[in-house]
Amino acid sequence: MILPGNAIVTDATSIIALPAAPLHALEIWSNPEAVAKRVQKALGFALPPMNRSAGNAATTLLRFEPTVWLVEGDTSVLADTLGDDGALTAIGGGVVRMRLAGPHWRELLLEGGVFDTSAAAFPVGATAATIIDHVGVRLHAQSDEACIAYVPSSYAEGLHHFWEAALPLLGA
Amino acid sequence: MSGPMRPATGEETISFTFDGTTYQARPGDTLAAALLANGIGLVGRSFKYHRPRGIMTAGIEEPNALVTVGTGGRAEPNTRATDVFVYPGMVATSQNRWPSLSLDVASIFGLAAPALGAGFYYKTFFGPAKHWLRYEGFIRRAAGLGNAPTEADPDNFSQTAGFCDVLVVGSGPAGLKAALEAAEAGSSVMLVEQDAAPGGSLLRDPDPAMDPAVMIAQIKALGGKVLLRTTASGYWDHNFLTLTQRLAEPGAVPTHGFAQRLWHVRAGRVILATGLIERPVPFANNDHPGVMLSQAVRSYVRRWRVLPGKRVVIATNNDDAYLTAEALVEAGAEVVALLDARASGPAAPAGVTVHHDARPASVTGRKHGLRKVTAVIGGSEQSFDADLIAVSGGFVPVSHLHMQAGGKLTWNEEAQAFIPGETPQACETVGSALNPPPAPAVAPAGKAKKSFVDFQNDVSLADIDLAWQEGYRSVEHLKRYTTLGMATDQGKTSNMVALSRLAEKQRVTVPEAGLTTFRPPFTPVTMGLLAGAGARNAGAHVRRIPLHGLHEKHDPIWQPLGYWFRPRAYPVNGESLAEASMREARTVRTVAGLSDVSTLGKFEVSGPDAAALLELVCATTVGKLAIGRGRYTFMCREDGIVFDDGTVWRLAENRYLMTSSTGGADRMAGHLSYVRNSLRPDLKCSVVNVQEHYAGIALAGPRARAILASLIGSEPPRHMGYAPATLAGVPVHVLAASYSGERAFEIHVEASHAAAVWQAIDAATRAEGGAPYGLEAMELLRIEKGHVVVGGEVDGRSTPHDLGLGGMLNKAGGFIGAAGLTRPALSAPGRNNLVGLVSLDGPIPEGGMLIQRAGQSPQGHVTAAARRILEGGAIALALLEDGHKRHGEELIVSSPTRGEKARVRVTSPHFYDPAGERYRD
Repeated sequence: MILPGNAIVTDATSIIALPAAPLHALEIWSNPEAVAKRVQKALGFALPPMNRSAGNAATTLLRFEPTVWLVEGDTSVLADTLGDDGALTAIGGGVVRMRLAGPHWRELLLEGGVFDTSAAAFPVGATAATIIDHVGVRLHAQSDEACIAYVPSSYAEGLHHFWEAALPLLGA
Repeated sequence: MSGPMRPATGEETISFTFDGTTYQARPGDTLAAALLANGIGLVGRSFKYHRPRGIMTAGIEEPNALVTVGTGGRAEPNTRATDVFVYPGMVATSQNRWPSLSLDVASIFGLAAPALGAGFYYKTFFGPAKHWLRYEGFIRRAAGLGNAPTEADPDNFSQTAGFCDVLVVGSGPAGLKAALEAAEAGSSVMLVEQDAAPGGSLLRDPDPAMDPAVMIAQIKALGGKVLLRTTASGYWDHNFLTLTQRLAEPGAVPTHGFAQRLWHVRAGRVILATGLIERPVPFANNDHPGVMLSQAVRSYVRRWRVLPGKRVVIATNNDDAYLTAEALVEAGAEVVALLDARASGPAAPAGVTVHHDARPASVTGRKHGLRKVTAVIGGSEQSFDADLIAVSGGFVPVSHLHMQAGGKLTWNEEAQAFIPGETPQACETVGSALNPPPAPAVAPAGKAKKSFVDFQNDVSLADIDLAWQEGYRSVEHLKRYTTLGMATDQGKTSNMVALSRLAEKQRVTVPEAGLTTFRPPFTPVTMGLLAGAGARNAGAHVRRIPLHGLHEKHDPIWQPLGYWFRPRAYPVNGESLAEASMREARTVRTVAGLSDVSTLGKFEVSGPDAAALLELVCATTVGKLAIGRGRYTFMCREDGIVFDDGTVWRLAENRYLMTSSTGGADRMAGHLSYVRNSLRPDLKCSVVNVQEHYAGIALAGPRARAILASLIGSEPPRHMGYAPATLAGVPVHVLAASYSGERAFEIHVEASHAAAVWQAIDAATRAEGGAPYGLEAMELLRIEKGHVVVGGEVDGRSTPHDLGLGGMLNKAGGFIGAAGLTRPALSAPGRNNLVGLVSLDGPIPEGGMLIQRAGQSPQGHVTAAARRILEGGAIALALLEDGHKRHGEELIVSSPTRGEKARVRVTSPHFYDPAGERYRD
């Protein structure tokens, strides 16, 4: 399919390492309800529940653990809302964000994977902490066309290669 | 059998070779079908006696026609000729014969069969062991199947997850119907079929009311997934099944580089439509080429249009074989006799003579088929000229997966077969496997010695009789003594015949005689498939350090360390590892060196209760650290044994950085999570693993302080001090810690900015005459300084006191392991203590045992050995019984495995700057 503007788009699934972005671990250890209210007031959206995401143009929150959220983007308004009830810790240097895009990204995640990535089980907006080919990976179903995988930097090249090698199997 | 067994039709043909000769096949042919079409009946040699073997079946149960397919690393031995589809250029080779299939020298073993019966192998162990050594090599060479390839497999193997509401195994009539019904009901369906074509028995016995292609299209249209060439090989707990899918035929070059795929499927419900396997009939020489199962003959005739014989005898105890007679007659073969063991049967096709109360007794043959069939008819012998006998001794339901699922079997007397019964999982069996046709028990005729039961292991009726005679009563013992039901076919055609014989001997019914257990895999699975992508990289992805690319430019010697790869040394001008590492260590001692320590475990602990958590985890006092200070620490297990060490730094009022060893980083992450979430979930703190967030660079040596000062524009912190700084424009943490024994710093920087920082430090260090150093130099430096390493001196058995760290313990207690340390055994005499060793003669063998004199039991061992960096001479660290009290004693280090020895004197482990003066500015 050729779109206007000379862009050529195929139906192939692609794996792209995204530029480094600020990533923080946000942990809340006390007064969760009060903190949630403060966070909602500061960000304009509520803390997402387990295995879900929420965000605005500047900040996305993804929840993978009972008391910990992954914060992608701007955290400037968050730090002051936590007080002594929680902490933000930078972790972006150790994570590579990979965008898996195309019609078969769900199928690609089954390769070396262990959980059901179908739209019914892993809808858009959902998050999951799982393993892919024995590597711990966090996932965010960004849209029907793309998923963001948060991969430990040391494994990024290996996993990228693993996914690239599996591409010919997709749709078979 | 002679000449082509399939009429020429002008259809497309495919060339392949068997034992070097080129033949033609048609698309869709199995190798077995193609060989039969070319008049080839002799395909292999048997495991023990090297008897000539042909093609018995048309499916995965084939025990005889095992060949090697492919060449080089792609060669796949023990492939069933009945379960591989011919492709252009296929190379197939017969096995277990020398020098050729037709003339196999080892077939002489057949003459020695009376001496090589059941238990022969076990009996070779009787007598002195040296006797076994005499014939071991001979036995191992003589027996066996195909040879494993010696080259690496060039193909990839995929492992993938699958999920469905309903998994249907088998695409015969019952499987197709079940899958379509489930799909129509709205379930997500997976249908798996081991054949390349759907249909199962419909391929042999077409039903005008059922078109497999149409039904498959309907299932797919409803969203179902259909996997052909896929075998459900394992059924585990919670409806978890493993499927093995062939993406390319054995030996073929796969289209996308992947030869096979292992599916891990979690199904809501499983429907087993696995059908039946036909039983052979025991009679003398029933293993000869030209003896085939009746349904297999029908398959070759109807599916592949191949006539396996022109003059055919049929022997049966059931009605199904009459259909084979029909098929043969339709195809133009002559059915010279139909031997029915029963008193009556259905009507036979016109021209076929049926003999009742008739059983085959023996056959004689030629190379590719039979010559004569002798039968016992009504008590009298009668012979028939025939090139093929099609036999049917009844049917065995394929209940393997049902049994793997934990299901029970029930006995069907009419069919003389076990059928699937209750199952604890959401699983049901449908179709013919639940309803095998009636087939009464028939007493075999013919000589027991040559009446084979297990064709793959050359087990005859006489072998079962011998096992019984020698006292083997249990079916499990019978199996192991005779090797019945072992090898690649796992007794698919043999088990029931053997059980019948055992029951007859015991004078009990077959169910009373018992049944062996079916275990995964249903059919053989290649090692490559089990390894998956891990076959390429020893089971795991290589972990790359952030500065991997920068190091690579210096062409270092890489060292695998867990999953990591780290520079071991940076040789220049052709240096050896030893030369390079000693040069690098000297550079650190005299000028300065920089090293990549990014793999260290690193954890940020923050919150009002951060210190309380660290006081629990660390065995030393860390809670009272001032901001900007750090200290060495170690961590104990609950039993008081040291399991890791590192440093703790107070970065801010409520924020700490804790480091731990590279090898123990994952374990430490788990430990901290356990402490935080299970032991003290009440603490107001956060523990975050920042091992990969920060890259770490160690800068060590007498010029390190000056180099760093020039780079950060201010005085670096004193020893065990911390300061934030900016280096090469990048914010960094400067930790003044030393592992080398020199004034040293660890500079931790966000990994994505590490390259600029490394390059700046590298340039400044080289300008001073310094150089990068690798792991090997680091080892020389730390041994000389007497620092312990996890996995060496910290060996999972040592207490803090053993390692000379007792004085650093938090005297207030409260840390994990404090209670364990009070156990009397941990302070009893005779424990191994950390000591140093100085050689009195040559090099000290690492790993060597410490003894006082030859012949004495070891009193300790060397954990790490090195040469003094500046002074020369061999030194080592060791764990020695009561070592703390033995300084000055002379011992021998002995390594019998290397044939090395050295005389040593026991010393303090601190060989270099024991007072720590070099840390001070």
